[in-house]
Amino acid sequence: MSVTEKQLKSFARLARLDFPDSELEAFKGEFEEMIAFCDSINSSVQGDAASIREVGSRRIEWEDLREDVVQQSLPEEKILSNVNGENGYFTVKRVVK
Amino acid sequence: MKYQLVSGFETHVELATATKIFCGCTTKFGGAPNTHCCPVCTGQPGALPVLNKKVVEYAIRAGLALHCTINTVTHLDRKNYCYPDLPKAYQISQFDKPLCEHGYVELESGKRIRILRIHIEEDAGKLVHERGTSYIDYNRGGVPLIEIVSEPDISSPEEAREYVEKLQLTMRYVGVSDCKMQEGSMRCDVNISLKERNSDQLGTRTEIKNMNSISHIEKAMEYEAKRQAEILDDGGEVVQATMRFDENTGETYVMRTKEDAQDYRYFPEPDLLEVVIPQKKVDEIAATLPELPLEKYNRYTKVLGINPANARLLYKYKAVCDFFESCLALGAGVKNTANLILGTVYSTLNTEEEKELFDIKVSPENMAELVKLADGGKINITLAQMTLAKMLESGKPLTEYIREEDLAGISDGDLEELCRQAIAANPKAVEDYKNGKEKAISGLYGYIKRATQGKADIRKADAIIKNLLK
Repeated sequence: MSVTEKQLKSFARLARLDFPDSELEAFKGEFEEMIAFCDSINSSVQGDAASIREVGSRRIEWEDLREDVVQQSLPEEKILSNVNGENGYFTVKRVVK
Repeated sequence: MKYQLVSGFETHVELATATKIFCGCTTKFGGAPNTHCCPVCTGQPGALPVLNKKVVEYAIRAGLALHCTINTVTHLDRKNYCYPDLPKAYQISQFDKPLCEHGYVELESGKRIRILRIHIEEDAGKLVHERGTSYIDYNRGGVPLIEIVSEPDISSPEEAREYVEKLQLTMRYVGVSDCKMQEGSMRCDVNISLKERNSDQLGTRTEIKNMNSISHIEKAMEYEAKRQAEILDDGGEVVQATMRFDENTGETYVMRTKEDAQDYRYFPEPDLLEVVIPQKKVDEIAATLPELPLEKYNRYTKVLGINPANARLLYKYKAVCDFFESCLALGAGVKNTANLILGTVYSTLNTEEEKELFDIKVSPENMAELVKLADGGKINITLAQMTLAKMLESGKPLTEYIREEDLAGISDGDLEELCRQAIAANPKAVEDYKNGKEKAISGLYGYIKRATQGKADIRKADAIIKNLLK
């Protein structure tokens, strides 16, 4: 499958990747290779998507669902131990103007 | 107006479970930031979600109460979007196989607002923006929600109000949510478009996000309908957009247009198994549904004979209905019970919240005793009101204020004796009455009321006096 520049830019936006135009051309080839790989998986699988789901999916029975019983949450310092935090909050660069 | 308003609602309702939808963290409102969190609800690598049984149960309950069919095989899907209120960069929701479908909300006019679907999903965290930083609290992240999607059947702000109120009431009746809009446990996205009257052609719609008060919804709809009408009248085109409502200015403004529309790339959630719900379970839940709001309203007006205005004031609050019906079950009469609640009790409850809670110091047993005295004519309604006011204030039982002997003291014989005394003591009034002034007789009532401290049955006294004066 060949990919248009417009599609490529749209995928990049969804993936939050910033490609300068100079790199876009080179990446186009790589991206087409990735899609070709997925296509080869698709073509080796028999049947339609619904039947794949049927075969692949396992079901959970009613009694195996989780009971609504409160468990201990993690201590605040543990929750925040691997992130940028301040006064108990997670912090990120401001996301609204 | 030459246009017809066309509106559909997407309503998020927080379910009143003890724990979150995919982990055992508490759903309690508030708390210090990020103290109701664990690896699952903060999206730590390798943490796996496990679906809460109560969430499925409550969602089915809500669906049945809104006359939906239940899909007994269902699954969850990933809705991908990148925003820090979701730590995983996707929300676990439902896409092509919602738990409930095709129900309705019936308005008092008999018109039905159709429900397209109800699905379960997780709530997002809360963001606070200050200077260059956004601060995130994930306590609310993972709290279970149902999203109730209506068809575009709503054609006025008034219908919108009734629709939201009915939804709210129904959820409270069946006990799946407190639906407190001010705390965010119920919020609405409102879709609005205009179409020419007598035309089937729908106009382009806009969506007003995250409305958390019914009066704001009405105002926003009015404003947005007017805005769209002005554009159309000028020969322009409405641009499909997501909007916000500014409470301070009463205006809507554009948040993003169609070009920036999200592509959520839904796909089945691989971390969760397909859920199989036994039909037996659905039947069990259906069997425990209480009387629904509209059924109650109809019973109050048609069977109990309460007038529509009073019935509305009662059935709006579930706790009030429970109290009212407990009194009736104890033998209290409909009319006096309803009037005492709506008059005397309501005058002590100033806000909607207070009426919803209905935390009063009088038990149904005490209330029923009092009402039965009034029903039987042993005390008049004024004394009943005064006594009830005192009981509401002090929390003391009826016997503190009215004793057996007080009531026993006014036997038919005693009452007749009192009537004779009243006639003897009021010669002028008696003469006026005999000369045809019917109203003059009320002077005698005053005498009897004073002598018995309001405990005499005036209707009975009236009959006795008229008989004596024949």
